[in-house]
Amino acid sequence: MTDRVQVVALACSVLLLLLVLELVRRRRLSEEYSALWILLAVSLIGLSLRRDLLDSAAKWLGVYYPPAVLVLMLVAIISVAALSFSVILSRHQRQIDRLIEENAIMGAELRELRSDLTISTKNERSDGIEEPARAAARER
Amino acid sequence: MTPTHRVLTLIPAYNEAPSLRTVVADLRRRHGDVDLLVVNDGSTDGTAALLRELNVRWLHWPERRGVGSALRAGLRYAARQGYDVVVRLDADGQHDANDIARLLVPVYVGAADVVLGSRFSASHRRRHPRPTQRALGALLSMMTRRTVTDPTSGFWVLGPRAVALLAEHLPDGYPEPELHLFLSRNAMRVVEIDVEWRARLHGRSSLTLTRLVKAAARVALAMIIVPLRASVGVTRD
Repeated sequence: MTDRVQVVALACSVLLLLLVLELVRRRRLSEEYSALWILLAVSLIGLSLRRDLLDSAAKWLGVYYPPAVLVLMLVAIISVAALSFSVILSRHQRQIDRLIEENAIMGAELRELRSDLTISTKNERSDGIEEPARAAARER
Repeated sequence: MTPTHRVLTLIPAYNEAPSLRTVVADLRRRHGDVDLLVVNDGSTDGTAALLRELNVRWLHWPERRGVGSALRAGLRYAARQGYDVVVRLDADGQHDANDIARLLVPVYVGAADVVLGSRFSASHRRRHPRPTQRALGALLSMMTRRTVTDPTSGFWVLGPRAVALLAEHLPDGYPEPELHLFLSRNAMRVVEIDVEWRARLHGRSSLTLTRLVKAAARVALAMIIVPLRASVGVTRD
């Protein structure tokens, strides 16, 4: 039994899969985050090819209107996707925090190094210790 | 434990330039040789310029990120520079530099990993915590099986184990109440000592209503989550 909706659903699912793969190919989407979307596209393709799967799932769940099961599934998948984005976001937040902190610490260490250097160069000058030491300090 | 400790005094600052100057001068007067690190948490009031003039060490970032992050960065700096004891006090001038010596004692004799200055301990009959602080204190006391009289104290002395632990794992945001749970979960020995408490020199508490509600939500979550988390443990060298 083939009707229009099935064709459209199949086309959309295939397009989604191609879009995801193309994004990965262009490195706009990293492999790590593409898995969820590839999984989604493939399962949508599977469902558009085998509509009876949806019907039997609906029967098993006791849902009288099979398309409701499809909506339910999509909501579940999107929720999982949103949650995984929050996890990724939290990880990035932690990494950025760490970077900002490290950067600030390195800034302070650099300032201290520079001021040590200025002091030692001044001392060398007043001690009359000559050029090589100062040149070495400058190089550093 | 080594007989000598290297002590770093850590001051997180957000828009507290006028009082910061007094606090630093005060510390210098009473503890001349003190090593000072100010963490400028994205102040917009000229704190950055003041820091250059004060001749202290400082960390800085351009946007406000919260006192938790400021302290964590300061502790990491301390650990990396070989400091094993950290004194933390607030930039608003409410803590008295004279109390530092007393707070250091339990860490020096090895009796505690963390010493917290309490503004409301039993000997301070005149002062009373606000009802929210009292309730929070009671709840934290129950959960940590230790008397917490001042759950939001910003006057700490951290010993070597605590510095190592918190440099990596200090909670973000508004860490003071959560800290109690975290320390208890990680088997740190905590001691409270009563301290003098002066009215802040300038400005008002940074704790606005919105921030208070957010902090309360976080603390509520921490109360459930932190005891369930595994103890992170401290790597010893």
